[in-house]
Amino acid sequence: MRLPKFEYLEPKTLQEAVRALASDAKRSVLLAGGTDLLVNMKHRVIEPKQVINLKTIPKLAYVKNVKDELRIGALATLHDLSSSRVIQERFPILSHVATKVGAYALQAMGTLGGNLCQGNRCRFYNQSAFWRGAKPPCYKAGGKLCHVVRKPGECHSTYCGDMAPVLIALEAQVRVVGPNGERVLSLSKLYSRDGKRPLSLRKGEILKEVLIPPPSGKTLYLKWRRRESIEFPIVSLALHIEKDGTEKIGKARIIFSAVGSGPVETIGAEEMLESSSLDNRTIERVSNQAAKEISPMRTSIYSPSYKRRMAGILLRQALENFQIPNPK
Amino acid sequence: MEVRGKEVVVKRIITLNVNGEEFEFLTEVHRTLLEVLREDLGLTGTKRGCDLGTCGACTVLIEGKPYLSCLTLAADVQGKKIVTIEGLAQDGEPHPLQKAFVQKGAIQCGFCTPGMILMAKAFLDENPNPSEEEVKQAISGNICRCTGYTKIVEAILSLTHK
Repeated sequence: MRLPKFEYLEPKTLQEAVRALASDAKRSVLLAGGTDLLVNMKHRVIEPKQVINLKTIPKLAYVKNVKDELRIGALATLHDLSSSRVIQERFPILSHVATKVGAYALQAMGTLGGNLCQGNRCRFYNQSAFWRGAKPPCYKAGGKLCHVVRKPGECHSTYCGDMAPVLIALEAQVRVVGPNGERVLSLSKLYSRDGKRPLSLRKGEILKEVLIPPPSGKTLYLKWRRRESIEFPIVSLALHIEKDGTEKIGKARIIFSAVGSGPVETIGAEEMLESSSLDNRTIERVSNQAAKEISPMRTSIYSPSYKRRMAGILLRQALENFQIPNPK
Repeated sequence: MEVRGKEVVVKRIITLNVNGEEFEFLTEVHRTLLEVLREDLGLTGTKRGCDLGTCGACTVLIEGKPYLSCLTLAADVQGKKIVTIEGLAQDGEPHPLQKAFVQKGAIQCGFCTPGMILMAKAFLDENPNPSEEEVKQAISGNICRCTGYTKIVEAILSLTHK
C-alpha cells in the first residue's frame, strides 16, 4: 500500500509548526511517530495536503522534574517513558503502561503526545479503501451516515488510548501551544467525546507537554485484549485509590478506555467507593455501578454487552487488588 | 517541485546512511523507508508483510532501536544510522544471532527472520540477560506463521549468559 502524495514540512520551531498548521488546518496533519497517522493515510481515510513533522523541532522530547511536578515533552517516546529513571522511581505505573501500549518497535517509534491524540477507532473506519468501497463512506470518513448507528451527523467511534486513562487518574494537565499563545488544561478536557473530532484542540493548536502533580495513593492499569502484547484494548481500566489515613477510601478515580468516544470516568462508581471500606459487598456494588455508567457501541467485533461485563470484572479484579494488605 | 498538469509532484534529494554506507538519491517525499530500501537500494532482506505496522517483518534498526520501516518516511530518517539484515554480517562472517537461528532450527520459510533477528539484536543490546518471558515480550510484535516461536526464543536465549 503506497501512501498518498502530500507536501512535507520540517519546521525548526514549534511556532513554525503552529503557523503551518493554522494556515490550512483542515488539510494538514501533524507527524510524530507516525504509527497511527501513516496507517490511516494508507487506508485513505485521511489524505492530507500537508504533513508537518514535529520530530524536527528540538527540545520537545524530555522527561524532567520541575520542583514537585513531572513534565514530559509530547514527543517523548513510549520507550523514553518506560526506560526513564525518573519515571520508574516516581510514577512506576507510567513506566509500566508505556510497555503495554504495543510491542517494542511501537514503543520506540510511538510518542506520548501521539498516543494521547490518537484517532478514534471503528470497524467501519479503520479499513482499507478497498474494504470500505463496499459501502458508501461513513460519516467519519466524509460520508453521510454512520454505519454503527444508521443516522447522520453523529460518529460513535471509540477512543482506545492507554496512556490517557492513567494520566487522567493521576490528575495530569497538558500544555497546548497555538496561534493565540499557550494554555494549560486538564487532560480530561482535551477530549471532546465527539467521534468525528475527538480532540478539543482549537485551530492550529499543538500539544506540547504533559504535567503531572506529585504522586499520591496507588494507581493500577488493567488492559483486557485478545493478544497479550500488540493490540488496542477491548476494554481497559485505570484505577486510582488514596486511603484517607484510616482504612477507608479517601479519593477514588475510575477511568475506562475503549468504551466510549473519549476516556470514560464512572463518577457514580467513584462516589460509591469514596468513604467506604473495601469490603466484598462494596466491590460488588461498585463494579455493577460502573458497568451501568458506560455505553459502549458496536465499533469493534466485541459486543457492547461483553464490554460492559468485562468492565465490571476488571474493576472487581482491580479493587480486590487493593484489599490485599500490601498491594503490588 | 514539479507541476504536471494539475498534479504537484514533490521530490527531494535525500541521503540515507544504510549499513555504514551513504546513499544519495532523488525520490518522492511520500515513499516509506521500506519502499526505498527494497526498490531503490535493492536491499530486499527487509520484508513487506502487512504494510500496516502489525507484523514486524519490516523491522530495521535506526540508531540501534527497532523501527517499522513500513510506517517510516524515508525523508524522515536522513542522517540516522540505519541497519538492515544485510548489515549484520561483518567481513562475510554471520552475526552470532544469525548463527544461533540457523543452529537452533529457528528458520522455516525465513520471511519473519530478518525482522525477528533485528528485533532480537536491539533487545539484547539493551538487555543482555533477559528471562524467557522477557524475550517473548520483546519479539511479541514479530509474527511467525511457521515455527511456533519455540526455536526462535531458544536461539535468542542461547546468546544470553543463562
